[in-house]
Amino acid sequence: MKLLESRGLLTLALAGAFLWSLTGVDWGSPLIHTGGGAAARTFFLALFPPDLSPDFLGVALAATWPTLAYAVAGMTVAVLIGIPLGILASGTVVSSPALRLPAALVSRFSLGGLRAIHELVWAVLFVAAFGLSPLAAVLALGLPYGGILGRIYAELLHDVPPEPLRALRTAGASPMRQFLYGRVPLALPDMISYTFYRFECAIRSAAIMSFVGIQGLGYQIQLSLHDLLFRQVWTLLLFMLLLVVLVDQWSSLVRRKLAA
Amino acid sequence: MELGQKSPTPPIVEGGREGAPPRRIFLSVTKLSLLGVLLLVAVSWAYLIFGEDRDFPNLFAAAAWHGAGRLVGQLLGLGSATPPAYLQADRWLETGKLAYQTLAMSVLAIGLAGIGVLLTFLPAARNVSHGGLGGAPPRYWKILHHVIRLIYNLTRAVPELVWAMIIVFFLSPGVLPAAAALALHNLGIVGKLSAEVVENLDTAPARALRSAGATNSQMLLYGILPQALPHFLTYLLYRWEVVIRTTVVVGFVAAGGMGREFRLSLSFFHYTDLALLLIWYVILVTAVDLISAWMRRLTLPPPGR
Repeated sequence: MKLLESRGLLTLALAGAFLWSLTGVDWGSPLIHTGGGAAARTFFLALFPPDLSPDFLGVALAATWPTLAYAVAGMTVAVLIGIPLGILASGTVVSSPALRLPAALVSRFSLGGLRAIHELVWAVLFVAAFGLSPLAAVLALGLPYGGILGRIYAELLHDVPPEPLRALRTAGASPMRQFLYGRVPLALPDMISYTFYRFECAIRSAAIMSFVGIQGLGYQIQLSLHDLLFRQVWTLLLFMLLLVVLVDQWSSLVRRKLAA
Repeated sequence: MELGQKSPTPPIVEGGREGAPPRRIFLSVTKLSLLGVLLLVAVSWAYLIFGEDRDFPNLFAAAAWHGAGRLVGQLLGLGSATPPAYLQADRWLETGKLAYQTLAMSVLAIGLAGIGVLLTFLPAARNVSHGGLGGAPPRYWKILHHVIRLIYNLTRAVPELVWAMIIVFFLSPGVLPAAAALALHNLGIVGKLSAEVVENLDTAPARALRSAGATNSQMLLYGILPQALPHFLTYLLYRWEVVIRTTVVVGFVAAGGMGREFRLSLSFFHYTDLALLLIWYVILVTAVDLISAWMRRLTLPPPGR
């Protein structure tokens, strides 16, 4: 009953929040450009068909590779950050009680800080600091993704079923052994499938690194948009779709294998 | 083979030793995947470091850190004649208005995405559209299923920023195009997740309703929605946390909220303004995280109930 009441309250709050958000739009000025409707029509009609000339397909394929490479490199950094910080934040390895809480707090706080800031904001800051280089984009991708991975790894490592751990403990296993033989094998499948899901997100993030001048699909989309070549834009959008669907299929294949 | 009957020939043990697992001709999916991942990592890093005459900065050189140190100094406003923006009350007020606008933008975006998902996610679930729940859904739902799934995949695959770049061709710059771009991308994500929830639901209530003579819409309304909606709301709230982080970025191109100001401060080298905007950004993100966590506790019963 309590739950039902709170749900009614929540529905009301959500509807209210949405109505409030509508006040944020400046309804007085025209919302659509003059000729915006025609532009929209041109854009959608350009899908039939997209630019499938061999020349442009080559361009799109060449642009797909850097996007993939940045996503992979960014994910490597993210995993390297996420694993140690996630293990510390889970509060499961540090055996001395005096150290456990500080270690968990410090790692949780730094994970939160990393993930608070969007990858493109990191990218803008890194380019201002280091200049435009692949490193700026890789770090910009890796830091917030490391923050997210670390948080999820910590939760997964913390929330494993307690029975196998109890068995290990009663058998006299040290906390480190309990972690290695109890927690890691139980949490690993979920950790891997979440990492795959994040890889899919990293591909999108790598594409928008074009905004700070990094090559890739996003960069080509920007170029084609500037030249109003909408048929090319659709081709590139379809390449993004293809890349994401491929990773999605790969990850569900691995997920099924790990679950079996 | 009948139970208890001994197999006529002894099982062939591959690999020679008895008890050893049979050797497989093909590598397993997991091993191949691991190999693929390692290969991808190696080739990607090689490409980024050595490919196409890069200048990959040496992180251990003092010069690389000099630039970073200078940026931090500029953000803090060290050595500048005018007082930094984050110490001026009126600048706090001005940027606060932008932060308010940004918050409204994020709620509008997630609201639009939510409405879109509510309208489409039932036919997007295979068991609903293909009659897996018993009975006969309208035939055109099968076509609808594939169309909606394709739309979900496309809107999900294209990042918000790219949608924003496209949408500003049609809509006047401001809060609306930014919110629309965010909504479009999140429609794909929340839609896919919600449809998967329906596909994995306990179908017993729906079947019971069906056998008691409920119509198609009654079954969906009373058998499916009550189970699916809490999950849908949870996903929506999770995505809201992501959306608030992305509003700034989408504002870069769609000129709504703090993003525009962020970009201007950067191009005019007003670094202390940038610092103030970053402070507001972190305040917004933290506030939304807290509100979302609190609301999520209201939507789903606590575990173990």
